[in-house]
Amino acid sequence: MVAIDPKADGVAQTSEYPEWFRNKRRDRLLIVSRWVPISLIGLPVLVLLAIVIYPTIWMFFHAFHNTTLMSLTRDRYQFVWFDNFENVFTNERFLNSVVNLVQYLCFGAVLEVILGTAIALMLFSVVKWNWMRTVLLICMVVPLMLPPAMTGLIWLLMLTPHNGIINEILIVTGLTTEKVEWFSTSLSLWSITFADIWQWTSLPLLIVYAGRASLPQSIYEAARVDGASRWKVLSRITLPMLKEVIAIAFIIRFMDAYKYVDKIYVMTSGGPAESSELPVYIAYQRGIRDFQVGEAAGYAIVIFAVAAVLVTLFLKYLKKVLKAQAIA
Amino acid sequence: MARLEIEGLCKGWDFPVIDRMDLTVEEGEFFVVVGPSGIGKTTLLRLIAGLESPNEGRIILGGNDISRLPPYKRPVAMTFESYALYPHLSVFENIASPLRARRLPKAEIEQRVKDVARLLKIDQLLTRRPAEVSGGQKQRTALGRTLVAEPEVFLLDEPISHLDAKIRHELRAQFHTLEALRRVANVYVTHDYAEALSLGDRIGVMGRGGLVQIGSAHEVFEKPQTLFVAEHLGQPSINVLDCELTARDGVLHARHRESLLTVPVAQAHVQRLNGGNADRVSYGIRPQHIAVVADGEVVRDGLHVIDSTVTLFEPLGTYAILITETAGATITALSSPEHRYTQGESIRLGIDTAEAFFFDAVNGKNLVL
Amino acid sequence: MRDRHYKLVATLMFVFLGLWTIISLFPYYFQFITSFKGIEEVNRITPTFWPDEFLWSNLDLVFSDETNVAALLDTLLIASANTALAVFLGSLAGYALARFPRQAGGENMAFWILSNRMFPPVAILLPMFRAFDTVLGSTDNHLSLIILYLVFNMPLATWLMMVFFRDAPRELEEAAYLDGYSPLRAFFKVTLPQVVPGMMSVALLCWIFAWNEYLFANMLVGSNVAVNTIQMPGFVQGAQKLWNLAALFSLVAVLPPVVLFMVLRRYMVRGLSLGVVKG
Repeated sequence: MVAIDPKADGVAQTSEYPEWFRNKRRDRLLIVSRWVPISLIGLPVLVLLAIVIYPTIWMFFHAFHNTTLMSLTRDRYQFVWFDNFENVFTNERFLNSVVNLVQYLCFGAVLEVILGTAIALMLFSVVKWNWMRTVLLICMVVPLMLPPAMTGLIWLLMLTPHNGIINEILIVTGLTTEKVEWFSTSLSLWSITFADIWQWTSLPLLIVYAGRASLPQSIYEAARVDGASRWKVLSRITLPMLKEVIAIAFIIRFMDAYKYVDKIYVMTSGGPAESSELPVYIAYQRGIRDFQVGEAAGYAIVIFAVAAVLVTLFLKYLKKVLKAQAIA
Repeated sequence: MARLEIEGLCKGWDFPVIDRMDLTVEEGEFFVVVGPSGIGKTTLLRLIAGLESPNEGRIILGGNDISRLPPYKRPVAMTFESYALYPHLSVFENIASPLRARRLPKAEIEQRVKDVARLLKIDQLLTRRPAEVSGGQKQRTALGRTLVAEPEVFLLDEPISHLDAKIRHELRAQFHTLEALRRVANVYVTHDYAEALSLGDRIGVMGRGGLVQIGSAHEVFEKPQTLFVAEHLGQPSINVLDCELTARDGVLHARHRESLLTVPVAQAHVQRLNGGNADRVSYGIRPQHIAVVADGEVVRDGLHVIDSTVTLFEPLGTYAILITETAGATITALSSPEHRYTQGESIRLGIDTAEAFFFDAVNGKNLVL
Repeated sequence: MRDRHYKLVATLMFVFLGLWTIISLFPYYFQFITSFKGIEEVNRITPTFWPDEFLWSNLDLVFSDETNVAALLDTLLIASANTALAVFLGSLAGYALARFPRQAGGENMAFWILSNRMFPPVAILLPMFRAFDTVLGSTDNHLSLIILYLVFNMPLATWLMMVFFRDAPRELEEAAYLDGYSPLRAFFKVTLPQVVPGMMSVALLCWIFAWNEYLFANMLVGSNVAVNTIQMPGFVQGAQKLWNLAALFSLVAVLPPVVLFMVLRRYMVRGLSLGVVKG
């Protein structure tokens, strides 16, 4: 029996809803057994729990104690409240590394995304032949294939001040007159950054390229028919549509950038005089080299927490922006 | 016995889509559900198929309660509006899919698939992929997949809506002749009423919450129970005027409230209307019951002639649509395509008042049934 | 009007692209020439742009040493096993999150799984070191790395597979249900074939990460099991670092990722564009 006015076109008022509707269960009724999703996600989650929860708990525990490697093996450590966390925010060496990190991220991750986007779009608009695009793309993506540690070593070799090939090229082409001290206190962080840029620009490049390739061709044809200038096409069509892709490329880069210490380890060991240290590297050194487990745990937790918060905020902001765009 | 019975079916998300629906489709019957887009016709099919769970109610097929069964245990076959053919499998494999699920022997599968393919005239395409065949052929493949399954009820969701007219015609003929369909219950969903009128043994007009009227094609068209039903069946759609019933010169008239148009009420309807106390009604008259009266033509009894001006003339092959302005109201009529009317031309329209409908202005019920 | 300047701009861009290609390839060129130099030439004050003498014998020096070959094979085993595991688990979780979001934990679950990728390696290293020590007896085996790399590869695999499964049309599974297939059979018959290209790109990314990983490998293995990345410092002769041999070894070690990429690049672009663009 139809209980609702069949002539009505508008939405019925809530008070007119029949009883079965008001009382209906909120949860979505599945058409497969309840156990299917649970068992599907259960296994991976269990695995992750085992290999992640345990370290997390371990870390939190020891961040509140003054554990060293010695005391660890002897199970003797004291509860020290927030000492380790206080240390994080007061330790000069650590704070310096944070400054370094900001510099590294700005000129590393951010520049990589910008550069990668620019190159990807250039590849699309300027190179007309498909085969050429593929060849160039492969050449540009190849740096991703090297282990970061090896990249560090290669760049170390190339940038060696007294007989490195980079200095040789710079002098021979007349760009500098003396051999550049790539690993001095002022330049060592930059050397690492250059190696980083070389290696990782191709990741945003690949991602943005893929994104650009999936944009519908019809929009560009319509723009051409409308007579839009190339600049307008870029700023009004391409970039807005790629906003999401670029943002994701940035997040991926960001998530990896601040935790990769391979290059520092291999190229400069943080030196000279701690000038090229990054926060994660310090945590690593203090924890594994200097055996200050508690202190290192403190660093690690703060680093992870800050990064997680930043990424979450960024994702929320991104969602808002995209929702507005979708409605518009 | 493959009778389909639906009892008290309820389903809603943000608002109730199907509200305590009862329906019985007999074995061998072709039941067509018509209604506007988005009203819930597909939801009804999905509930029968088991792809959605109802909030309340039961579904009984051939005497067995299948309400709690998951879709892969129900003896139901469905064609999707988008065909849902497996793109990575050949046409043969698509059709064979239900048989492979039952792990039947290879030879039997091959035989049955080839038989169905021949019946649907797609036996030449068995090795092709869905991407390589035309829309009509895709549709026949999807149909073949359901035929081969030999279910106890066929569910067809707008199977021919997206095909061009000629193919639609061919496939409609096929639906008429396919034996297999006549052996069990069929529920066919469409938004095209002409299709419904052609194919359905019985038609259910679906509105908000469920089926507003169920009846034969003739019944729902000639005797709509509500304004909604009248509006949704018929092309071009029925003229509806918000009117007041007044007496003039001792005769009951319907006066359009927004214009000067006044039409007398036919004798047959007067008795029924006076019994009620509605003075405000929705007056409905179908375009096919309004014709152009030529100068000098003899006007038969019951035809109310009125002056009118042509606003738009649309010839459509075997007939033509005339949109006119009549005493301030917009009236649509049908005419033969032979005479071409020009915009602004003055004509005279004859309204067959005996064919008018009167609907309650508030709840849309047909007052004269 | 703008297009008048366009020719100039286009040429500049072309030049830039060429420059960047050269920059991208230069270190490989450097690595190549270094691989075939003698060590004295490598250590010279003035570097040379081509080996004085092409020392093919370096190949022999590197690969006659069994440990180097063993390292490559060990890495192959670890990377492949880990990738298979990561893609398998990631597919299960990705499918659950795509098809049954609310039951599988929804956005929160997805985010939690993804956030594991952000873990600083340090945080995992110490506790897992001890855990493996106690449970497996030592860390110097294949299993420790295979399991540990899951921390990074599984979230990636889950996230990407979730997006790919979301893209696979649900209707096909529904049609399969109506044909009589249970969810498990329907998954294998219909859903899985749809996501194979995506799976390929995910597998490639995971494999390359595992193949190139240095930090954990350095800490956990060394004697029984070796990984290609940690062989680099091993090229010493007394006090002297044999850069040329190290370069040659790593050049060979970089071939598998490059070859795999070239073979699967079509899937990469399609996979990434679906995964990242729609995710």
